[in-house]
This record gives sequence, C-alpha cells and structure tokens, in this order.
Amino acid sequence: MITHQKRSLSQIVMRLGLYSILAFMALIYLAPLFVMLINSLKDVEEIRTGSLLALPQNPSFAAWSKAWGSACTGSTCEGIAPFFLNSFKIVIPAVIISTLLGALNGYVIAMWRFKGSELFFALLLFGCFIPFQVVLLPMAMTLGWLGLASSASGLILVHVIYGLAFTTLFFRNYYVGLPRELISAAKIDGAGFFLIFWRIVLPLSPPIIVVTVIWQFTQVWNDFLFGVVFSGADNLPVTVALNNLVNTSFGGKEYNVDMAAALLAALPTILVYVFAGKYFVRGLSAGAVKGA
Amino acid sequence: MATKRPLSDILADAMPKLVLAPSFLIVMVCIYGYILWTFALSFTKSRMLPQWKFVGVEQYTKLFNNDRWAVASENLIVFGGLFILICLAIGIFMAILLDQKIRQEGFLRTIYLYPMAISFIVTGTAWKWLLNPSIGLQKIVRDWGFPDFTFDWLVNSEMVVFCLVIAAVWQSSGFVMALFLAGLRGVDQEIIKAAQLDGAAMSTIYRRIILPSLKPVFFSAFVILSHIAIKSFDLVTALTGGGPGYSSDLPANFMYAHAFTRSQMGLGAASGIVMLGGVLAILIPYLYSELRQKKAR
Amino acid sequence: MAALTIENIKKSYGSTEVLKGIDIAIDKGEFLVLIGPSGCGKSTMMNSIAGLESVSEGRILIGGEDVTHANPKDRDIAMVFQSYALYPNMTVHGNISFGLEVRKMPKDQREIQVAKVAKLLQLEHLLERKPAQLSGGQRQRVAMGRAIAREPKIYLFDEPLSNLDAKLRVEMRAEIKKLHQRLGTTIVYVTHDQVEAMTLADRIAVMKEGILQQLASPQEIYDRPANLFVAGFMGSPPMNFIRATLTSEDHLTITTASDSLQLPLINGCISQQYIGKEVILGIRPEMITEPLEHKSDAAFTQVVSLKVLLKEAMGADTIVQAQFAETELRCRINPTYSAPLDQHCDFMFDMSKAVFFDPETELLI
Repeated sequence: MITHQKRSLSQIVMRLGLYSILAFMALIYLAPLFVMLINSLKDVEEIRTGSLLALPQNPSFAAWSKAWGSACTGSTCEGIAPFFLNSFKIVIPAVIISTLLGALNGYVIAMWRFKGSELFFALLLFGCFIPFQVVLLPMAMTLGWLGLASSASGLILVHVIYGLAFTTLFFRNYYVGLPRELISAAKIDGAGFFLIFWRIVLPLSPPIIVVTVIWQFTQVWNDFLFGVVFSGADNLPVTVALNNLVNTSFGGKEYNVDMAAALLAALPTILVYVFAGKYFVRGLSAGAVKGA
Repeated sequence: MATKRPLSDILADAMPKLVLAPSFLIVMVCIYGYILWTFALSFTKSRMLPQWKFVGVEQYTKLFNNDRWAVASENLIVFGGLFILICLAIGIFMAILLDQKIRQEGFLRTIYLYPMAISFIVTGTAWKWLLNPSIGLQKIVRDWGFPDFTFDWLVNSEMVVFCLVIAAVWQSSGFVMALFLAGLRGVDQEIIKAAQLDGAAMSTIYRRIILPSLKPVFFSAFVILSHIAIKSFDLVTALTGGGPGYSSDLPANFMYAHAFTRSQMGLGAASGIVMLGGVLAILIPYLYSELRQKKAR
Repeated sequence: MAALTIENIKKSYGSTEVLKGIDIAIDKGEFLVLIGPSGCGKSTMMNSIAGLESVSEGRILIGGEDVTHANPKDRDIAMVFQSYALYPNMTVHGNISFGLEVRKMPKDQREIQVAKVAKLLQLEHLLERKPAQLSGGQRQRVAMGRAIAREPKIYLFDEPLSNLDAKLRVEMRAEIKKLHQRLGTTIVYVTHDQVEAMTLADRIAVMKEGILQQLASPQEIYDRPANLFVAGFMGSPPMNFIRATLTSEDHLTITTASDSLQLPLINGCISQQYIGKEVILGIRPEMITEPLEHKSDAAFTQVVSLKVLLKEAMGADTIVQAQFAETELRCRINPTYSAPLDQHCDFMFDMSKAVFFDPETELLI
C-alpha cells in the first residue's frame, strides 16, 4: 500500500476507530474468562449480592481448592482432581496412537499410492463430516461385545478411531508436499518401506506432528459426547465431571467453586494454545490443511 | 531369463497395503458399517436393547410427529442459520480490520482465537452465568441504574435459542476470522497494485476484487460451521440442559436422550439418521460443485 | 556383453502409450545421452531403467542379467536427480554413506569410501554440513558423490544440470565429462539441452513421442540426421529446410513465385530415383556464409543474392535471417561482413554437407 509520511485527520480518525473496534471485540472475547476468574476468587455471598463484573474484595483461592479436591460431582465429592487425571489417562494414549497411525496412513497415501488408496482417502475424509450420533449406538454395542464398555481403554479406542480421519488428513497433506524424488532416491539407495519412513520421512515431520498432537489433544480433552456415552463412573473425563459438578446443587449454587472448576478444566488446552499456538499455525501453513 | 521374485520382495511390495489395512477395516466398520447398522435399527421396534423386529418407517413417523423433535429441528434451523450468518459476518469483518496492518495483530489474533481451544462445556457453563438473569448481564445493567432492563432470554422458552447463538458465535467466530484472514493474505498483491494504479479506491477494490476471490473460503467456512451446528450437543447440555423444558433442545440432544436415557433406541437411531441426512444435504452439493470445478479446469 | 540392453520396451499409462518399443544396447564405459522434446518419454525411459516404474512389455538387461522385474535396489544402479533429492535431515557425509549403510557395509569400509568420494569431488570440507547449507553446485556434487560411492554398474543422470545457472552449468558439464573419463563408468544421461548432449555423449539417442528416432554418435547425428525431426532438433541455430526439385544428378532447382534458382550438388549424393521429384534440402547455417575466397572456385558452392531481414550478433559470428524464395534462412557470417538490413547481399551456399529428406517419409535420402 502507498503510505504517506503525514496522515490526514480523517485517516487518523479512521485508524482510531479501527483500533477501538478491535479493542472492543477483544474485550468481548476476554469477558467470560475474566468474569470466571474474578468470581472464582470471591465467596458465594459476594457473588450473589455484588456484580459479576466487580473485582473481588478479599481474593482467595478457597473455591479453587474446593473445586480441585472436595467439590461434589454427582455421587462422589472428591473435586475434579481424579477426573483431571482420568482425562490425562485417556488423552495421552489416544493422542499418541492416533498420531502414529495418522502418520503411517498419510505416508502410505501420499508416497506409496496404489490402486484404491485415493478412494480410501476420500472415504476416510467423508468420515470427518458425519455427525457422531449415527455411530454411538453401534459403537456402544461393539464395546460391550469386546468387554470394553465403560472402560478407559474403550474410550481411548473410540477417540483413536474417530480421530484417525483428521490425523491422516494432516499427515497426508503434509507428505504430499515433500519431494517425491526423495523417496525414489531412497529406493535406489536400497531402503525399504519402513526404513524410508524411519530415517527420512519421520525426521522431516516435526511441524506436522506438532499440529496433529495439538489438534488431537484439544479435541480429545474437550470432548464431551464420547465421554458421556462411553465412560463409566470410575473413568469419567473432566468435561463430564465438570458438567455434573455444575448441575449438582446441594442447597444453593456455589458459583465460585463452579467457575474455578471450569477454569481448571479449560486450563490444559488454553495453556497448550498459548504456548504452542504459534507452532500450530506455523505447521498449518506448512501445508497441513490444504483441502481434500 | 526372468528370475522368480523372492517372497521377501513380494511382502515388501505389499507392505503399503498391509499398513493401510487396519485403518481401512476401521473405516469400513466403524463409519460405514455403523451407519448402516443405525440405519437398519431405525426401522425396528428397539427400545432399551436392539430388537430386530422390522416395523417399516414407524419410527420415522413417530419422529416427525414428535413435538420435541419438531422443536429441536426448528431450533437447529434458527440456531444454525443465525450462527453461520453471524459468524461469517463477524469473521469477514474482523478479518478485513485485522488485515489493515495492525501493530498488535499477533496479540489480537491470539485473543480472538483462544475460545476455540475451550470445550463447549466450559463455554456453555461460562455463558450460563453471564446470561443468568439473577447474577448475570441483567443484574449488572440493572445495578448500573437501569432497573427496568430485562435480559432473561435464558429462562424464556421463546428466546433461549438465541442464547445458544450468542455462546456459539463467541466460541467460533475467531476461527472464521482466522480463515478469512488467511484468505485475504493469499490474495495476489499484484492484482491489487494493478487496481490501485487503475485508480480504484480501497473500498471498491475490496468489493470487486478481494471479496469475490474469497468465495472458496466462504464455502469452506460454511461447511465447517454447519458441521459444528449440526453436531452441537455439548453446548446445549452445559448452557441450558435443553430447557426451559425442551425449548432449547437440538437434534443431537434429542438423539442422546432417546437412545440412552429414555430407552427408545429405534427412535434415537431414526433421529441420528435424519441428522446424517442433514449433513449430507449440505455436503454432497458442495462436493459435487468442487468436483465439477476441478474437471472444468 | 552389453552393459545395458533395452529390448523392445513398451510402456503405457492406461490407454496412453508413452514408450512404443525402444531398443538400445550400450557398452561398458559408454556415455549415452537420451534427448528429446518434453513428453518424448525420456524420463519414463530413465525411470524404467532404474526400476522406479514398471514396463508394460519388453526386457531390460544390466550386465547380461534380466532385471525387468527387479526392484531398484537389486539392479546395481545409481541415479542423480534433477532436484538432487538429497536427504535434508542428514549431513553430506550421511547422504553419501546412506546407501552403503543400507547395504550393511561395515563402518570402517564406509568411512574409507566416503573419504574417497569426498576427495574426488572436493567435498571434504563440506562433509558435516546439511544440504540446506550448500550452494546449487555443491549439492549437485553431493548428489553425484552419493551415486559414485555405491560403485554401481550403471549411472543414471536425470537432467542434473537443469537447475543450475548458465555459467555453473558449463563448469559442471566439464566436471561430469572429466569424471567419466577418469572413472570409465557406464552412464545414461537425460537432457533436453543439445549442447550438453553433443559435448558429453559417446552416443546420442534422440526420442520423439515414445519412439527412438536415431541412435548414433554426436557427429553422425549432426552430419547425417536420420529424419527431418532429428535434423531440426539438433544444432543451434537449427538447420534450414528448403523445398526443392531434383532436376538432374548434379543440380537442384528451387522454384519461387518470381523465378527459379539452381544449386549444385555433389555427384551421387542423391539416388537417381528422385530425379524430377520434390525433396527437402537441409543446409546448416554455417554452410551459408559470406562469399569466401578459398571456396569460390569449388564445384559445390554457389553465390546467391538474398534480402537481409534480421541480424543477431553472437560475438564470434553474426546470425543473419535472410529471405530465400518463400523461406527465411539462417546464415552465419563474419561480423565484419557488411550486410545492411533490408538490402540484398551476396551469400555463399556450401552444398558439401547438404542433406536431403523425402517430403513424405521425412527420412534421410
């Protein structure tokens, strides 16, 4: 754009207007987070009598420790800590397995194309779009039949299965951007399928691994539907526990505890976003999602 | 004389197919197989457990005569329509603003996008408080000196759908903005420079050159947003629980309730299939037009 | 026993036939260049020899052994790619030794081999660098080093110099030629650049649309092109083609709208059966010059007056485009010869190396 040294008055006014709109929008996006934070530091009376927007008079973390260790989530009153752990127990294996499978699938589809591989990819992609409601019932039946009903392993399996479409998409789009002559050179050098993957393709994959892991972590951690359908009482993920906590009211809602619990539940994914977000964006522009 | 191929070579050649095989199996069974299963189930009399007694389209008739389903479907159209339109509008508007060489662009983008990192449960819970008449916005504005201000949509069965829209837009508009911003950045700068040399004003350039070139982004955003709208389950559960009554129910919640808590598997299956139909109704024309475009190139 | 034999190779992609029956045999130590326009099938041929693509019909033999269905790694070949295809995550050392590692060569032997190759290609000081830190020419040498380290029976070069700038290309061309002379390796080299083909090859295989047009030494291809296509393709600036009628054994007549012109022929250069028929005369630009003293009495030269249309100064000589009958001819003249634009000047036709083509078959007569 052709910029001038000295800006005219109308341009300055427009610039000011621009920034104010952007700042206003920023406030709106931050408002819920802000509200939850300050009210989690108040006591229940202060919330009920005061304004949600008012800063806490005597900020304390009492609500936080209650949310963590002693709040009631349905039949148990152990806070959300055990469910936090459950979520990790579910998320970590699910992310690792679905990423690994996605990498192998993407590798095959991008670099070892054979008759039907593109069709398979299309079928897989289509699976990204189905509403999961159509698979809940049969999946529940299958898990029961496999003896995995209401178990953490069952939930991990479900997340792996339904995360496969996206992880494969990410890796495939990335690998398609790698020079195919690299594989030809490796074949001539004598390397086979797995050696090429291990020594050449995988070392080139960090950007997309980061994207996939962040994406999968966020998806699985934030999931509620699969959690509420497939988990049992002793391995509920934190999202389900949070919902139970907030909707259980034994005589009067403890808003401060509820808000602290919500913040705790959201913390991991927000932290991942804040610290690793730019790697996610970088990885995306390195070609993760280019369209089917 | 041709030599016979050793077994290890044949195995090595088959390796790509072998590696893909498990995923292939998973896809065929857990996606397409399951869809067929649910489809079949929707024609049965199943209640608490699958009963393979076929009753034709009885469940579908029941479904379309069900008042709660009618409310849920209507809600979906209202919610979905508003959600998509407002997200697109905010998204493109914010993207254009951010494209104006803002100094704190990265920082602002982080703020606009973070809601996507949060679970819909957390979002729903947070907005439940903000929209709660007794402690939320209504109380705040009243305390500011407007005692007659009412904002009780959350408990008003006519208006509660709009609360869903507010929360969902808050969550997803940043993502749409990011999509459009990437699209704006992808516009060929040379075309813009040529237009400027031709004497066109920025607003004309936006209207006649940039926005039309964003058509593919509009479509992708539309597809993704409709997908989110149709799948919306968590948000309703956390924000309104479907209430008051079932006035803020959405098809996904209907399905869950009937399939799992109300022991009406057949009906639940039918509702799931109808939801799938809704997704297909949007997806297939989109894919068709994409394929046609590719062929035309 | 030939080092590489290609027997009646045919390759089709679906219904499109890309290679239509190619037969080539090259000896050990020979440098064969495959050249042709885009889409002629030379890269497909190269990939088929390497085993990266399968053939629909025919056989490939390396050192007498039938490798038609063998994997690339079992064919004892090495390839240098247009984009070099160096492994980005490995150092130069790693790139060169990777193929040896895969073949389970013991570490100390590998080290010796890498050192040998590094010395040969002056890569010693670059061994610990990664490809991203190298210049184009250096990457090229690493790619060659990777191939040389394996000491294969056949080297395949797929347009290795295309990505280099003009000056570097000339340097690397000379280096490749020196390497060939030093190592005595069998090389199949694909290029679209005829200067590379002429300077590097022992023999050239000219391809067009999946068919081998001519397989011969560079000089033979230059002096006796097998058909119109080869004649027009090889040589820069390209050969001039003029339609003419063979009036007698020693004279060629070219008829224009206004008059006719007669050119002398060397006795017996065309068979008598063409007398009275139309032929296509092929004469290279360097055979149409300014009138030269020492040739003026020769029986095969003729001075003709042509109108000058365009001049391109090349330094050593000047290329002139002149109007002759209905065609525009390219002529090479000494820069000092005065040939003003739009004027008629005298040019000497030297018919000693003229070739003739049948207008229908396009083959050499």
